[in-house]
Amino acid sequence: MPAHDDSTVENSGVYSCGDDLIATECADTRSAQALADHLRASGDWLECVAGIASCVARFDVAAIGLDEAEQRMSSALRTVPAVSDAEAIVIEVPVCYGGDHGPDLDDVCELLGMDRDTFIRRHTGNEYTVEMLGFTPGFAFIGGFDEARDVPRRPQPRVRLEPGSVGIAGGRTGIYTLSGPGGWQIVGRTPLRLFAAEAEQPFRLRAGMRVRFVAIGAEEFAAGQAE
Amino acid sequence: MIRILRPGLQTTVQAGPRTGQRHLGVPASGAADPLSLALANRLVGNAVFAPALETTLTGVSLRFERDCFVAVTGARSKARLNGERVKLHRTLAVAKGDEIEVGSAKAGARNYLAFAGGIAVDEVLGSASTYLPAGFGGFQGRALRAGDSLAVRTVSEAPEMSKTPKEFRPPAATSWALRACYGAEVDLLTKESRFDLFDTNFSVGNRADRMGLQLEGVRFGVGSGGRLASAPVFPGTIQCPEDGRPFLLSIDAQTIGGYPRVAQVARADRHVIGQLRPGDHVRLLWRDTDSAREELLAKHEYWREWLPGISAII
Repeated sequence: MPAHDDSTVENSGVYSCGDDLIATECADTRSAQALADHLRASGDWLECVAGIASCVARFDVAAIGLDEAEQRMSSALRTVPAVSDAEAIVIEVPVCYGGDHGPDLDDVCELLGMDRDTFIRRHTGNEYTVEMLGFTPGFAFIGGFDEARDVPRRPQPRVRLEPGSVGIAGGRTGIYTLSGPGGWQIVGRTPLRLFAAEAEQPFRLRAGMRVRFVAIGAEEFAAGQAE
Repeated sequence: MIRILRPGLQTTVQAGPRTGQRHLGVPASGAADPLSLALANRLVGNAVFAPALETTLTGVSLRFERDCFVAVTGARSKARLNGERVKLHRTLAVAKGDEIEVGSAKAGARNYLAFAGGIAVDEVLGSASTYLPAGFGGFQGRALRAGDSLAVRTVSEAPEMSKTPKEFRPPAATSWALRACYGAEVDLLTKESRFDLFDTNFSVGNRADRMGLQLEGVRFGVGSGGRLASAPVFPGTIQCPEDGRPFLLSIDAQTIGGYPRVAQVARADRHVIGQLRPGDHVRLLWRDTDSAREELLAKHEYWREWLPGISAII
């Protein structure tokens, strides 16, 4: 946080990071999401976006000044509801691990000191939380794979990943929804189409949803893709 | 109908931005220079964000397959109608079979061609704009190719023949100043680099597109250890990765980034980013947030005479 910034409100933890951007640090991703949802529901903001441990709102600075934006953000921080696990939807995401679909699986296994089967058992043995969508449309940051906390991104991003590629980095699982470049370690691929711009519901995953990965074979993958 | 003869480097259908969906990973997209889009649409009697063509560096040429009205704005380029020079910034009446060509930009990066009625394309996620990285919006979610045929909506009344007053033609330059405020992680820059941030004559690198632009000329000292938690970024955010080379995000920028955000171009000047091209010079002018707001309001006041809806445009 820029301590020298003239616009920083002392002690409130709310600060500006641009003439029309107001931000606050959050304890974790879930509370950042909860705050972003709460801000969005007010209709006061142009954009409300959560990061891993922060939340930024963009306001119409032609209509309201920074002081007013700070007040609204501070007031939202006092009224944001506590995060709860209730009513979390669980979605099964089939993944074909390794091979052409998961070119980095062996590297990741080596980093973690486990064999493929163990990795797949561990990765499919837990329920995870969609922490946020972001980066590109529908890209899902899925938290909770703590064993892979020290798995870094690839030093050189791959130039082209297929949609549905499932990557690991820093204890998170990420699912790419578009073809394009990406730096996560790709361990597999899901045949599920998680983002479809023209669909009535373009996004299959939403922040807060619970996810369980299910291992599938190459044939099932091909069949799932054809659906 | 219009038919593309020569598509140029990258010509897309662009309209207004997508807003309120960054939390789903959906970037703004839309015209990289929304002011020039609005000026073109104004000349043909359209709503300011009606779908139009945005060219990149090398212009476009196309043929009209019915009578129409067209206007060209944006970068400093030469336009020809059936081989004869025509001026930018005025309403042109064209007949079926006419061909218009916009040449390479001499200064600035993008031209806008608006057609009375607007290009007939569907809205996807709240806007007709093309978002190339995900292949949606605009014309089949892609840049135009030779032979593409685009429908233009019909209008019941011909637009008034007009030209943009001189004082409302943004000059296309090769040297630009962008007003900017501190970003969230400016303190991760060394003291010297913080000074350099607003005292460097940057040049725009070859990596320059609708996602963002490399700024060259100085290597910043930055201490994030590469372990920053990913945080929201916006068009106009200047990020500085570990290699010390700042990167200015543009209209198609991703929604989340993991590099220190050292500055944020002020709203008043974000439309200028769409005209920057490789080799251009850029300086950042520091503003506190209050001054940035006053200057935005002053800019709106200035433009309101020609574009009454200016506060929705920039």
